[in-house]
Amino acid sequence: MKECIAMLLAGGQGSRLYALTKKLAKPAVPFGGKYRIIDFPLSNCVNSGIDTVGILTQYQPLLLNEYIGNGQPWDLDRLYGGVHVLPPYQKATGSDWYKGTANAIYQNINFIERYDPEYVLILSGDHIYKMDYAKMLDFHKEKGADCTIAVLEVPWEEASRFGIMTADENNVITKFEEKPKEPKSNLASMGIYIFTWDKLRKYLTEDEADKTSSNDFGKNIIPNMLKDQQRMVAYPFEGYWKDVGTIDSLWDANMDLLNPNSSLDIWDPEWKIYSRTSGRPGHYISNNAHVDNAMMTEGCLVDGNVANSVLFTGVTVKRDAVVESSILMPGAVVEEGAEVYYSIIAENVVVKKGAVVGARPESVEEKSKWGIAVVGEGVTIGENAKVGPKAMLEKDVQDGEILW
Amino acid sequence: MVNINALGIIFPNTYDELVPQLVKHRTMASVPFGGRYRMIDFTLSGMVNAGIQSVTVIAKKNYRSLMDHLGAGREWDLVRKRGGLNIIPPYAQSSVKVYHGRVEALASVLGYLETQKEKYVVITDCNTASTLDYADLVDTHVKSGANVTLVYERAEIPKPLQTENYTFEINPEGRVTEIRCNDYRRGVQNLSMGVIVMDREELIAMIKDASVQNKVLLERDIFGPSLKILDVRGYEYRGYRAHIYDVKSYFDENMRLLDPENLAQLFPAERPVYTKVRDEAPVRYAMDCKVRNSSVADGCIIEGEVENCVLFRGVKICKGAKVKNCVLMQGTVVESDASMEYIVTDKNVTITLGKHLRGNDAFPVFVEKDTIV
Repeated sequence: MKECIAMLLAGGQGSRLYALTKKLAKPAVPFGGKYRIIDFPLSNCVNSGIDTVGILTQYQPLLLNEYIGNGQPWDLDRLYGGVHVLPPYQKATGSDWYKGTANAIYQNINFIERYDPEYVLILSGDHIYKMDYAKMLDFHKEKGADCTIAVLEVPWEEASRFGIMTADENNVITKFEEKPKEPKSNLASMGIYIFTWDKLRKYLTEDEADKTSSNDFGKNIIPNMLKDQQRMVAYPFEGYWKDVGTIDSLWDANMDLLNPNSSLDIWDPEWKIYSRTSGRPGHYISNNAHVDNAMMTEGCLVDGNVANSVLFTGVTVKRDAVVESSILMPGAVVEEGAEVYYSIIAENVVVKKGAVVGARPESVEEKSKWGIAVVGEGVTIGENAKVGPKAMLEKDVQDGEILW
Repeated sequence: MVNINALGIIFPNTYDELVPQLVKHRTMASVPFGGRYRMIDFTLSGMVNAGIQSVTVIAKKNYRSLMDHLGAGREWDLVRKRGGLNIIPPYAQSSVKVYHGRVEALASVLGYLETQKEKYVVITDCNTASTLDYADLVDTHVKSGANVTLVYERAEIPKPLQTENYTFEINPEGRVTEIRCNDYRRGVQNLSMGVIVMDREELIAMIKDASVQNKVLLERDIFGPSLKILDVRGYEYRGYRAHIYDVKSYFDENMRLLDPENLAQLFPAERPVYTKVRDEAPVRYAMDCKVRNSSVADGCIIEGEVENCVLFRGVKICKGAKVKNCVLMQGTVVESDASMEYIVTDKNVTITLGKHLRGNDAFPVFVEKDTIV
């Protein structure tokens, strides 16, 4: 028996990341130099003492499955428990894709019951944060709650983008509104829930029976429990938390790692973020290179100029190339004299000699035309080609071609 | 790749006495090298990449750091139901004591050797980091029909090694006709790399005979006197190699990896070098830092100036600090306004505020583990 197990929702397509999630699920998107997004909730779990995690996959699971493997990098290879990847499967009565977040958990009730848990922690695979779930579980028990929802104070002007909780002075939730036009509170749901399992099982079963339901935690389970006056409490979280479901937020969150004033600290030896590593030697910075305010990892070779950027494993920046305010994912190559500004360059992209990708905001007159440029996995940008800001490339660009 | 029918045997302590500073708290095998590796990583990874699935490490002394580094062998994919990594410390059996020389060491594990299934053994030390292709080596040995194959390189004998080396005379057929011990001739010689391939059962028979006759060293006491009856062949290694025999060579070999061509040769993409994973975060280069011609491992934080340096994992160079021509091992901290030139620091050294340390290219200064300067 396990007191608390975690279920991690990793099936989402992440359609707002466009080219970046064409071939991989959002939780597998590279983040922060040597991680993938899913490393954060997984590391949080193991650092919080939760050693049993079910990962619900559906969209493009190949890379995610391979990445998780037996869970050893996160110390989640256990005799009893550990990490398990849970795709939808065929049953005697037929088979279904996961219809919604709640349905995904419903379809895996058997998995959960194998561990006979008292509590189930529901997580999602698209947030960057560090959190001690053990403290949240203590809070859940202390408050005698049926459901505890982690909440974060967000600026009032942004509140209408989130699921907003209203809570009384004892943290008891009195109201929940999904993306309210006129928010009554600024406590946003972080998409992290702890349920007392008996209660959750009951509501999942009822929800499944309701043919009109969209089988979603935010839309159905939480409102239903609130309506029935179940004891639901808000667990206030302070610290760094970011939903990286969009190009801009993914770029921002990477840039936060370069900001000395940001509260996202991945260098803390007491709360390491684990990942599957490359096994490459330390990176090399040449005599011609200029590196300023950057993050980089094993296997990189830098012979050009890198500023305000995050370089992943095995990235090459050749002589006289310029990489500025950009994110270069594993294996990307920026050839001689090429320039990359305010871009996200996906895995194994080659930016050939003299090509230009993206632009500085100040060099674009019309503000609406500026944005982060994105180059999808494996794309080659031809010699001296020009790719403008806000681009979203999934196909190769020919030598000299101008896409501005 | 097909798994090869050979058992790896590694001696981690050979040549410890050449680098007393570096091995004060460790073995030659666990000497940190190349930013994030230990010497044994190159040997183990080479064997694993060649398909050797069973490796025995025969430790002699000071092996705590080695045990810590190797663990169960997971990082090298050597946690196996059949074979895998097997570490034999001294006193492993009631009859086993601390050995002198390879003959005694092998004699102490005869029982183990007899129960193994592999037809061949590959025996090696850990003072060389190379990309030796063990698969080709074993294959060449098998095809030649020789009793013993010895690996050598064409190289001059470094001065510190003149009292501790073997060189081979090799005839045009590739047969070793003479083994010289502690050769001090000038010029390029066939210098032994300490790697031996032979039949496991033949080895067992030789060790049994030799230990009765009080023989100590395989090359000097067993192969050397029997070259007429034993078919001993040479196998020339022509690839990149880093050879550690004193602090100066340690410094130089680390520095040589600042040439991207050398780096690419020692770390070919298709044959990764595995090491213990420490889950360090990527390197953080702060605003206004200056870095040139340096190799930097994960977990470092660079705020000051770094030039011509090899930085191991988790090194911190604070604002205003300057390091030039240095090899700084794991966890070294250089505080603000301190400066260093031609320094090798062992693990967890701290150079405090404003201190200046200087060696020179002929004499890099070594700072012992855990020192606070």
